[in-house]
Parts: sequence; structure tokens; C-alpha cells
Amino acid sequence: MAEIAFVNVTKRYGNTVAVDGASFTVADNEFFCLFGPPLCGKTTILRLILGLETPDSGEILIDDRPVTHVGPAERNIAMVFQNLALFPHMTAEQNIRFPLVERRVPEARIRERLAHAAAKLHIGHILHKHPAQLSGGERQRVAIARALVRDPIAFLMDDPISALDARLREEARVELKRLQREAGRTLIYVTHDQEEAMSVADRMAILDHGRIRQIGAPVALYDRPNSAYVAQLLGSPPINLLPPGLLPGARADAVQVGIRPEDVEVRPGAGARVTGVEPLGGYTVLTIEAQGASLRAMLRGQPAYAPGQSIAIGAAPERMHFFGPEGERLAS
Amino acid sequence: MTRSPLIELLRYAAILLAVAITLVPILWMVSIAFKPVAEWQAAGADLTWIPRDPTLENFRYLFGRSDSALIVALERTATRPILASILAASFGTLIAMTAGTAAAYGLSRFGAGANLPLALIQLRLFPPMAVMIPVMIMWAFLSLMDTWWGLALIYGIVTLPFAFWLMKTFFDDMPREIEEAALVEGCTRLRVFLKVTLPMMRAPLASATLFVFILNWSDYLVALLLTTRQWATIPVYMASLSSSMTGQLYGAKAALGLIAAVPPVILGILIQRHLVRGLTFGALKQ
Ligand SMILES: Nc1ncnc2c1ncn2[C@@H]1O[C@H](COP(=O)(O)OP(=O)(O)OP(=O)(O)O)[C@@H](O)[C@H]1O
Ligand SMILES: [Mg+2]
Repeated sequence: MAEIAFVNVTKRYGNTVAVDGASFTVADNEFFCLFGPPLCGKTTILRLILGLETPDSGEILIDDRPVTHVGPAERNIAMVFQNLALFPHMTAEQNIRFPLVERRVPEARIRERLAHAAAKLHIGHILHKHPAQLSGGERQRVAIARALVRDPIAFLMDDPISALDARLREEARVELKRLQREAGRTLIYVTHDQEEAMSVADRMAILDHGRIRQIGAPVALYDRPNSAYVAQLLGSPPINLLPPGLLPGARADAVQVGIRPEDVEVRPGAGARVTGVEPLGGYTVLTIEAQGASLRAMLRGQPAYAPGQSIAIGAAPERMHFFGPEGERLAS
Repeated sequence: MTRSPLIELLRYAAILLAVAITLVPILWMVSIAFKPVAEWQAAGADLTWIPRDPTLENFRYLFGRSDSALIVALERTATRPILASILAASFGTLIAMTAGTAAAYGLSRFGAGANLPLALIQLRLFPPMAVMIPVMIMWAFLSLMDTWWGLALIYGIVTLPFAFWLMKTFFDDMPREIEEAALVEGCTRLRVFLKVTLPMMRAPLASATLFVFILNWSDYLVALLLTTRQWATIPVYMASLSSSMTGQLYGAKAALGLIAAVPPVILGILIQRHLVRGLTFGALKQ
């Protein structure tokens, strides 16, 4: 079991605050996602958990024990680095064996674990090659195998499948989710792809310049974002943030009204105009101009509107999100 | 893009000229090395590229095996100077590379000794000759005069900045995550260095070693000041190759020059394999 907790952790590099008073607890066996725009501190959080960096203030607890004075080797956590960090002078097999050899695991056991990891990641046929001879996707598999081969208390993965193209990435994330279930270990997973984060995570944390803005299950964050910032990061196409007067039924005290594209209701009428139509197969995305503001609507099925067409828009008040002057969610 | 024939012609002419400037002295040395006394002596000089009567006499002469009546036998053979050069240059290179690599690693990874780079540049700001007089006095005090180890020590000190700077750039370019991966996987710092860093640094180490060795190998002035008879190196010994009867012994000098070119060439061939290897190619994404 491994429960990993941050208590008010701050990490600075010179003048940049990479992690700013972060507090969260990752439960044992949880698939926990760190999500946020570039340079928001995702990698730094992983490095702090590994013990490669020490916090300037605050405390990190693993299974309720402070780990400030525990070195990276003793923490028994496996990591897939953002740049993979394979050993270029070793073959794929030597790379994967490395963690076990260094821990003096008997040869018979190493063989068994190696075969197991290679089978799981389908890399049996490339074990004799050096990293330079592998494709990007194969390298990622080798890096993941190197982490999976031993039995750590937790896995950390820093955007491990970003080098794959979209379709392979979809397959890979399903597979990763399965691997994590089978291993029965905590997995802290970094990604910059909101869809990936939402599809795999049990819970996710949204980061903003080193600060944690919201933690929760993906669907909960999607449905009840606590700020305009969080609302904007999740969902594709992104949420529409509109001035309050635009949609009938919006609260008057809101500074911004958020409405997801799939919640925008469109019918023939007046008050708005279609400026763009993107047919995407199962659904259609309309770009709409209304009172100088631009918004997008996502409709089921084939396009029923043409550019230039005059329409009326609306939304159910319970689907609207109301944000105050600081972007905070207004209490209902 | 096609260049005009004239430009093409000029280009080849320029290349030819550069090659000639580089090769002519070397070829001339090779030629003389195999000429008998009569052919290389100033008196009998009619210049030919190919020796009319090629001989190994010059080489034999260097090692005291000559039976020629034309020149006086050498007082000292070339054996010891060759040994002196090999010892001083090799151990000097070893000192510079060991200390330089360690310093570069410490600075690159842990920021230890942040003023070191400047201090080492300062060591190169003036010619080594400027400090040779104090060094001579010190070396005399330490009984290091005219010893190969004394020479190796000063070689190590003089070439240390080169070793340091070369290795520092290589260490700086190596992504820290590779070492950190080993650290996370259970290695101690020392094991990370031995099992990951050093093997990855083979190519840079090889090229830096070759560079430093050639610097040490070709030194003349330092050895001239710090050695006299016992451990004179090849260049110092070469300068003494003359006799009152025949003047400069060009044949023997050329032969010795040819011998002196062998170690760097062998070293170069040995490590060439590593020189072409990329540093971290394949370790990272993309
Ligand atoms: N070693 C370092 N020295 C100085 N600043 C650093 C260092 N590592 C990280 N930072 C800074 O800390 C902040 C957070 O960086 P971090 O690498 O954690 O971001 P990230 O969320 O992983 O970004 P990305 O999505 O690009 O991987 C950034 O502003 C970065 O410039
Ligand atoms: Mg990162």
C-alpha cells in the first residue's frame, strides 16, 4: 500500500515558484492525474515525490511517514521520465533488467520478471536493440517496462505516451489503465491532454502556476468546476465564457456565464448568426456570433444550419455556470 | 545548385594547396628518413622525393646499431627519450583527464566550486613559459627535475584546463534525467557515475584524451627546461641530434620524427570508433 500526501509543499527555483503550497492526498491504488498547462509544476511534483528535489517548506508523507530524509533509491517508487531517460549504451533488455540487477534480485527471478514485463508491453521482439534503433513508441514501451519490471509501491509517469499519434494514444491509455489495475499500485500520471486525463483518472488535480486549483473525479470537475480556469481547461471544444446578458435566464450578479458547447440550444430565429460549420461525423460544431461575442455549439448529427443563417440561442439555466469577478464559482 | 566550372576549378585548387601545405613537410620527412647519409647530407644534396638508395640505416643509427663509417656513433640512443616521452605524456594525460573529468562532473552536477572555471581560464591566460622559472625552482626543491614523473605532473597541470572545459561541456549536455533514472532505480551516486555516466561518456572521453595526449606529446619547451639527460623527451633529444663533423643529423631526425608520429596515430585509430558515436542519441524522445 502506498498513500502519498503533500502537506502545504512549496518548491522554488530562484524566483519561480514551481509548486506553491500544494496539499493533496493520493489514496492507495488510485489512478491520480496531474493536469495543467505547460510549466505549471507537474514534473516538479513528481520529482518531489521521488526525492530528486526537496521541498522548501511543507512536508511529503508516504504512508503517513515523512520522507524528507529518505533518498530516491529507498523510496521504492518507479518513474517514467518525460524524456524517457533510457540508458543509451544498453540494449532494451539491459535497460529493463537494470532496476532488478541493481537490487541484486536473483537471475532466475529477473528472467521471469523480464519476460512478464516484455509480454505485457509487447516488446519481446525488440529486446536486443539499443534505444537509438527503436521508434518513439517502442522507446516509450521500454521505458514503461523498466518501471513495471520491479514491484514498487507506486508508479509515476510523466506524460509517458505523448510521442504516439492520436489513435495509438487512445489504445495506450486503455492499456495503461488495465496495467495499473492489474498491478494494484498507486499511479500518479501527468498529462497535458485533457481527454486523456479525464478518460483514465480516478481523480485528478488541476494545476495553475504551481497552485492546485481543484481536485476531484473528472466528471465532478467537468460538471462543477470551482473556477472559470478549471472550466476552461476541461472539455473540447472548450466551454463558452460569455457576458451575463447574452443568454436568457442567467444570473444578474455573475461576471461571466459559462456554458458548455453541448448545452447550447440552437433553433431558427433571430439574435445570433452562424459564422462557421464544422461537420465532425456524429456531431456538428457551430461557431456563432451573438451581440459581438463568439461562442460554439455542439449539436448531434449532420449540419442543419448554414453559415450566415440567422438563429436564436438559449440554454437551460441549470446547465449554466456562474463565475464572479475573480473567476470563482458563485454559490448557488 | 550548380556552380560555374571556374569556381569549381578554384575550389579544387584551393583544396589542393591546403593539402600540399599540410603534406609536403610530412612527405619530405618520410623521404629523408629512408635516405642514406650521402643523400641527406647538405653536401650531397640533389633533391629527390624517392630515395635512390632506400635504407633503414637512419633507424638503426638511432638505436646504436649502425655500422656506417660516415658518421660518429651516438652517445645516447633514442630508446630512453622514447620511453620518457611515452611515460610523461601518458601519465600527464592521465592526471589531466582524471582531475579534469572529476572537476567537470562535480561542477556540472552539483555546482561545486563555482569559481573553478574562471580560475582554470586564468591558467591559460598567460603562456606556460611565463611560470616555468618558478616551477623549475620548485621542481628542483622537490627533486622532480629531470624525472619523467616531474614532467608528467607539470603536463597534467598545464593541460588540466583543456580536459576540464571539454568534459564540462559534455557533462552539461547530458540530460540529468538519465542519471536520475539510475538513482531512482536503486543506484548509489558512485554506481551511477561508473555504470551510466562513464559508459555514456566514452566518446567525449576518447576525444578529449586524444586531444590532451597530443598536446603533451608535442611539447618541447617545458621538457627542455625540466629535463636534461636522464629523461629528456623525444623533441629535446631530437634537438641534440647533431655532430661537429656532419652538422645536423637530418636523416636521424627524420627517422625519429617518423617514430614520434606513431603513438598519436595509433591512439587516434584505436579511439576513432568512439569518436563518431553520438552522445545520447536514442536515449530521449523524438
Ligand atoms: N531545475 C530547474 N531550475 C530552474 N527552474 C526550474 C527547474 N525545473 C523546473 N523549473 C521551473 O519550475 C516551473 C515548473 O516546471 P515543471 O517542469 O514542473 O513544469 P511542467 O508542468 O512539468 O511543464 P511541462 O508541461 O512543460 O512538462 C517552471 O516555471 C520551470 O521553469
Ligand atoms: Mg514536465
